[in-house]
Amino acid sequence: MNYNTDSIPHVLGTTLYIDDLPEASTLLHAVPLLSPTAHGTYSGLEVSEALAVHPSVRILTARDVPGKNELGMVMDDEPLLADRKWHYQGEVLALVLAATKSLARKALTKIAILNITELPAITDAREAYAQGKIILKPRVQQCGDTEQALTDCDIVIRGRVESGGQEHVYLETQGAIAFPEDTGGIRLIAGTQSPSLVQQVVARILGLPMHKIEIETRRLGGAFGGKEEQANAWAALAALGAYVTKRPVKLYLNRRDDMQATGKRHPYSSDFTIGLSKDGTIRAFEAVFYQNSGASTDLSPAIIPRTLFHACGAYRIPNVKVTGIMCRTNLVPFTAFRGFGGPQGFFVIESAIEAAAHALHMDPMELRLKNLVHTNDRTHYGMRLEDARAEATVKRCMELADWHKLRASIDEFNSKNHRYKKGAAGIPICFGISFTKLMMNQGGALVHVYHDGSVSVSTGAVEMGQGVNRKITLLTARCFGIPETRVKVETTRTTTVANTQPTAASTGTDINGAAACIAAEQIKERLLLFAAEMLHTIKTELDFSNGRLVYVKPSDKAGQDTGYSFDDIVKKAYESRIDLSAHAFYATPDLFYNMEKEHGKPFAYHVYGCAIVTATVDTLKGTYRFDTAWIVHDLANSIAPDIDSGQIEGAFAQGLGWSTLEELCFSSDGRLLSNTLSTYKVPDAHFMPEMIVEILDTPNPHAVANSKAIGEPPFMYGIAGYFAVLDALHAANPTGTLFFDLPMTPEKALRYLDNLVESPATLKTHNNIEENQ
Amino acid sequence: MQRTIRFRLNTEEHTITPEREQPALDWIRNTAQLKGTKEGCREGDCGACMVILGENIEGKPVYRAVTSCTLGLSDLDGKHIITIEGIAAAGITPVMQAFLETGASQCGFCSPGFVVALTALFIEGGPIDYHHAITAIDGNLCRCTGYGSIRRATAKLIEAFPELPKDFATRLAFLAEKGILPQALADTMHTLPEPIREIVSTTKTLGGGTDFFVQNPDPDQELIPHYTDLEPHAQQIRLEDDRLIIGSAVTMRDFFASERIRTMYPGIEQYEQYIASTPIRNRATLAGNIANASPIADMTILLLALGAELIIKNAHGSSRSLSLQNAFISYKKLAIESEERIDAIMIPATTVRISFEKVSKREHLDIATVNSALAVEEARDGTIKQARLAIGGVAPIPLILEEAAAMLLGSRPTAERILQAAERAQAAVSPITDVRGTSEYRKRLVYRLVLAHAIRLWPEREEELLP
Ligand SMILES: Cc1cc2nc3c(=O)[nH]c(=O)nc-3n(C[C@H](O)[C@H](O)[C@H](O)COP(=O)(O)OP(=O)(O)OC[C@H]3O[C@@H](n4cnc5c(N)ncnc54)[C@H](O)[C@@H]3O)c2cc1C
Ligand code: FES
Ligand code: FES
Repeated sequence: MNYNTDSIPHVLGTTLYIDDLPEASTLLHAVPLLSPTAHGTYSGLEVSEALAVHPSVRILTARDVPGKNELGMVMDDEPLLADRKWHYQGEVLALVLAATKSLARKALTKIAILNITELPAITDAREAYAQGKIILKPRVQQCGDTEQALTDCDIVIRGRVESGGQEHVYLETQGAIAFPEDTGGIRLIAGTQSPSLVQQVVARILGLPMHKIEIETRRLGGAFGGKEEQANAWAALAALGAYVTKRPVKLYLNRRDDMQATGKRHPYSSDFTIGLSKDGTIRAFEAVFYQNSGASTDLSPAIIPRTLFHACGAYRIPNVKVTGIMCRTNLVPFTAFRGFGGPQGFFVIESAIEAAAHALHMDPMELRLKNLVHTNDRTHYGMRLEDARAEATVKRCMELADWHKLRASIDEFNSKNHRYKKGAAGIPICFGISFTKLMMNQGGALVHVYHDGSVSVSTGAVEMGQGVNRKITLLTARCFGIPETRVKVETTRTTTVANTQPTAASTGTDINGAAACIAAEQIKERLLLFAAEMLHTIKTELDFSNGRLVYVKPSDKAGQDTGYSFDDIVKKAYESRIDLSAHAFYATPDLFYNMEKEHGKPFAYHVYGCAIVTATVDTLKGTYRFDTAWIVHDLANSIAPDIDSGQIEGAFAQGLGWSTLEELCFSSDGRLLSNTLSTYKVPDAHFMPEMIVEILDTPNPHAVANSKAIGEPPFMYGIAGYFAVLDALHAANPTGTLFFDLPMTPEKALRYLDNLVESPATLKTHNNIEENQ
Repeated sequence: MQRTIRFRLNTEEHTITPEREQPALDWIRNTAQLKGTKEGCREGDCGACMVILGENIEGKPVYRAVTSCTLGLSDLDGKHIITIEGIAAAGITPVMQAFLETGASQCGFCSPGFVVALTALFIEGGPIDYHHAITAIDGNLCRCTGYGSIRRATAKLIEAFPELPKDFATRLAFLAEKGILPQALADTMHTLPEPIREIVSTTKTLGGGTDFFVQNPDPDQELIPHYTDLEPHAQQIRLEDDRLIIGSAVTMRDFFASERIRTMYPGIEQYEQYIASTPIRNRATLAGNIANASPIADMTILLLALGAELIIKNAHGSSRSLSLQNAFISYKKLAIESEERIDAIMIPATTVRISFEKVSKREHLDIATVNSALAVEEARDGTIKQARLAIGGVAPIPLILEEAAAMLLGSRPTAERILQAAERAQAAVSPITDVRGTSEYRKRLVYRLVLAHAIRLWPEREEELLP
């Protein structure tokens, strides 16, 4: 079929997400009691009134945890249930169980938290740093000698860049259902990107071996990184409830609790120094990234290196020094979100380039074009770029948008219009694919061919709307030469494929698809060998195509049908006692990285691309609209073009939202103010500009079927939206102070127009160049 | 005791006496066990819970998309609820097919809501063009697709169905023939079930519930609501002497659609799209918007500028009038007693020009940071006889700024007078800082929104007025 058949039940409304599954009559509903403020201690909970609400009410606290009350994977700094102190607003103090959700909620309101003492809350990364509250050690990546190079530059610009956090807003909130098993273990249906991780955490919390815990993930109603580490707590709480009560327990967060209690994209505050020669060649770049990591370690140590790896964007810079510091604050533990620290890195270098272009009176796009990476360049972490496609995509994108004409038409519009001003900006990307943690680049698959010829595939990949099931279906069907309707991808279970990695870092298809292909090839090999014997030929002269066994070159009957279908051969092979199942393993080859030296080849390859975005600002009100986005994306040989174009547009929308619209607001004492969808706005159908997407389809030998990973890279395109608005604002107020403080809300836009941007975001120091402003 | 109600769910009639009042969403999912209607936010903001509501409006069946998380179950007496299961009863429809072919369903959690919203557009009769299609889905969020594929899906539908029959019965037959609705469902839609209209003593007056259920997602057992649309004439906008009388159950949707309103206040319909979303406007009443006494309510701001008065009725049926301007006591507090309710809203039936401005983070479906309306009554020569300037989001209550408006009276206002009016307006407010904006931002917006009004009303002044 020419569309994703996986979506049929979605549009019919028959897909069963966690909250849609049938409930046993004994099932208890769980709701979490969350800490009310950002930092405090308490002496205990008064629960008698809550227990009196209904006989079914149970309340679990840290004392009920039979194993280790700890969620942290890197450090022990994240209890599942708080014990007399909390470190952020939304930390779970207790779990309330009851026969219905509304009884549980009612009971929850009757719990009193005793003797609360408020403690000072740190919300700002730099303040945490100043107080010495950092996680692990800062990481530094460098090449060349920035100090020397900066003294040699014609122009040096320093600046400060802020980027806000971002709420995932997966439409299906977090949840899990836990079933007590007669073996003494727990079976869970969990909304997670990482079933194996949930298995590990639940085993630890309950003090059981991993084989007593079985996790199934059916599919997710969106995740975007928010259900990687951050899904563990909810599954573990449900498991704890089931373990203690011996009844099935469902925990499905409502939106407010989800927004309150779950981690989001890290806010960053950064300083940069960029040095160029007067022709616009970037000579040196330094940056310090203060990552607001939140109250616990979570995935921050994996995210900070990705920021550093992408600190130079898609640019060739000979002298680089970039430092990443994880700052512990009293906010919710910040976590994975599409791009995984990459976007925060990109925004800083792009801000630096924008500032440099203004200082040099150059078209920022020309400056970008001039400094792009090329094939055989080495990145600041020492990786040789094998097949750089930065220039190809940027040039094509400029052509597609007709850049010079576009600029001219914008200038003309701006000269004729006083109230409305237009702006445009483009961003190139170069994004490394592989988990930055080397060990994680592995995956398994289990393929069964049933004796009727239908095929079942299990992998570690979790379907969350990104179409990984569709891609694995197509890859497997292609491998067996059968129609895709004969392949079914199973839900993800820890008992079929074990020790899996999260479906994350855009690697879902690269790793799991590759493993599925290897397993399928093994079975196919056996089938062909068997058929060759039967037909008195050799296996290289046979293949499956369109569900038939056919002769292929070098056979002289090449192109002819053997008279047997795939199903016939499978049936006969089964009768001849041939193994129709195979497990396979894939580990991304040729990766190495020296953490001490911060040097190596951490990525299998890079994804390139470019986006140009235009915006119109109403300078009277400070509001804006996006007009058009042109995107040229390095997709290589797409396995499923319809899915990939959906990923490009969807990632761009999230990036545009992060850059301009989505404002995570905390009060100065650390309470989340934007805790509902009425106070936290994400893009809607009106908000998005027209999107013109073109694909660069040069094959990529480093991923399955010559494809390239797709999930995260296009997120960065949204950053162009920030600079498009800034460009329009600049046209309205050419002497205004440029500022790099994302998201670009209408309030900030108006501050710029009213000349209220506080401390100048960029300080220029000129060495040998004349100031000609 | 809750009321016994009779309604139709898809093709089945139900007579129930609910144990307690609850959002229809809960009943659909937990009691009827129809899981295609999703809960994404429970506050009207995401559209995952979208259903189609059929009700009699002035004696005719009218079908519209609404969010079931803000729809009271006991409000369903005599109504018809269509869920995704009802639409999908005969398999994949052309709307679903368009979503499949364009890849407009990724994780799929939002998809039933989008399909319901677009199917409602077909039932309403369109027109099926880009503007109407996007407006129809302005209450649906999708976090996966970026809307590109969803727009392509609507484009396919626009191409396939350029025109729909005007007459409702003919249209139903057409939709059934094209498979947009199952025949068996369409057959039930010509008439609505007979309401039971059981009289019970109630504890709370509700309009559309769009605010109430957001504030009370899990209402108390004791709540027995009285829905204003049960009252005779409550859905009407009628002309009485020199006043327009807007019934307490008139929704935002019906207000902007009213020919009377459109004629009296030319161009007023252009502002509809900036207020809430289609499914919310389909339910939210003007009376509820006022009764909330929110300082940022959009309809209140419009009605203040139009010089509205309230007719307040008490439990014994006696009534009094209260000017809207004097109706707000303090934050979210209206000057009416607990046993009183808004029976109608009156506005002078005088032709005025009105400008409405709203600044919010997102242009559509967002609560304003500051909103404002300026209504002017002009003589033939352009002399301003009457000017009312209303501003929201700058004080605990919505404000009327008389002094600033007075600057505009008399001969056609000059740029100088307009700038003075803007300055006075700005000086008259002392807003607070909250999640939607800082105090000083709001002050600057007040100034700029007055200029924006003036530019709309007197475009020839634009050059002189722009900062
Ligand atoms: C997603 C979403 C978006 C929204 N966007 C906007 C927006 O852009 N602009 C805006 O202004 N508002 C917005 N709202 C707020 C709100 O829903 C409206 O203000 C709406 O008009 C309330 O009307 P209702 O009939 O639904 O009121 P209900 O929810 O039924 O009632 C609200 C309150 O008013 C009382 N009440 C209702 N009718 C009467 C009466 N006749 N007499 C006395 N008291 C009465 C009720 O008792 C209740 O306390 C939005 C709401 C949602 C959920
Ligand atoms: S659940 Fe989101 S609008 Fe109803
Ligand atoms: S497809 Fe996932 S939210 Fe729309």
